[in-house]
Amino acid sequence: MKKYISIAALLMLVALAWSSCSKDKPVDEDGLLITTRAECYVSNFELLGADFQTVRTKNAVIDTTACTINVEVFYGTDLKNLWPQFSLVTDAKLDPKITGKVDFSDLANPKQYTVVSGNRQVRKTYKIFITVKQ
Amino acid sequence: MSVKYYQYTAALFALLLSVAACKDKEYAIPEPNGGLGNDVIKRSLGPNLVGQKIEFAYAMALPADKGKLESATVEASIAGAPTTYLEHRSFYTNASGNDVGVEVGAPSVNKDNTTSVSFTRDTMAATLRYFYVVPEEARGKTVNFKFSAKASNGETVSYSMGPYNVSTMDMKLDLKVVDNAACYISIADMAVYTAAEAAAQPDKIDLVYVFRTPTNYLHSILSPGADPQYLPGVTLPAGVNKVTKLVRAWNLRDQQLARLQFGVFIDDLDFQKQGFEDAANLALNLKEEAGLWIETADGKYKAYLFINSVSNTGKTATISIKRYTAK
Repeated sequence: MKKYISIAALLMLVALAWSSCSKDKPVDEDGLLITTRAECYVSNFELLGADFQTVRTKNAVIDTTACTINVEVFYGTDLKNLWPQFSLVTDAKLDPKITGKVDFSDLANPKQYTVVSGNRQVRKTYKIFITVKQ
Repeated sequence: MSVKYYQYTAALFALLLSVAACKDKEYAIPEPNGGLGNDVIKRSLGPNLVGQKIEFAYAMALPADKGKLESATVEASIAGAPTTYLEHRSFYTNASGNDVGVEVGAPSVNKDNTTSVSFTRDTMAATLRYFYVVPEEARGKTVNFKFSAKASNGETVSYSMGPYNVSTMDMKLDLKVVDNAACYISIADMAVYTAAEAAAQPDKIDLVYVFRTPTNYLHSILSPGADPQYLPGVTLPAGVNKVTKLVRAWNLRDQQLARLQFGVFIDDLDFQKQGFEDAANLALNLKEEAGLWIETADGKYKAYLFINSVSNTGKTATISIKRYTAK
């Protein structure tokens, strides 16, 4: 009996060791899955103010060919404290990451964000142009 | 180790488990103690503010054959404001959900830090409400309550409640701001002034309320020191130029300020934690139920301003303020 138990335990151990070491899915430096998708674009863009309410006057205009995003914000918006939100195509990611509020007040030098495709091969840099409604 | 020990251990565990699992007490209706009994609940919710009421309901009863209630007394560790009272009516809720009072005693008497009611009716059971109006002395302290009742057979019972913290913040409700009239808001005084009054005390003016018809402006609250392009047609009185920090908030409908159905309360701690590092100095196009975190230019006060209502035709807004002294 004792022999069987030890054999069973050994088998389990081997199975465990084997299953944990098999690594067939590639991940990137953020631990995100690298897939086969090569699509690389921004599908939606949102800007939130300090109260987490939108500051856009209308939908953002996203040009995926020219890689530009044009947003018109309300008069008097505090451009130093805006929270951008990107919707990206499946599996894509953004660089740099958005970790908090962003200062968009330098209108002459628009902020740039790079979209990286699912296979991590395609990179497209979007410029965000903000205009304030008068 | 031999197999036998394992077996013993397992058996012991099983035994322990079964003992623990079987402890399932049956509920029993509590037995009355046969004499005078009492109970208290606190009815008011949220931070306890100076000048506001803390409400309790004190219930007391004894069997009819043992005697009747003689008096009810509440002793507070800090004497309440003179308007503190203990109801001399016992309430019940009728079929329509209204509270109906039945007079059972003489109006309460405040003496030092006790409030008491003497029963005038032959009563064996009563629930009296106690309204403690928080005095200035209690600011930032804790307060305890001892409720006691006395019956005609000499029996007494008591019930202790507390401690309850009293917040250091102040509150002012329903200030009306009017465009181009009473539009200068002072956080230091928690008051609204006209241009003439503001000119007399420019150092106390922290904010200005402006209404303009463009749909992207409407009801706005700005620092007097904000960029003049955002103060169209506003002539500030001489010396009114402070740059007050403002952070917009939404969906933060403090129950005490808004008096709406939301169980959200802002207390001292929220002011302590609220940062103003990235604050703006103006907030345009404010809607009803919007809020503003405020820090005065000298950093002395932090405040939360809530917009209770706005009127485009009247060019007015009603605001309520909670203010915390930071320094």
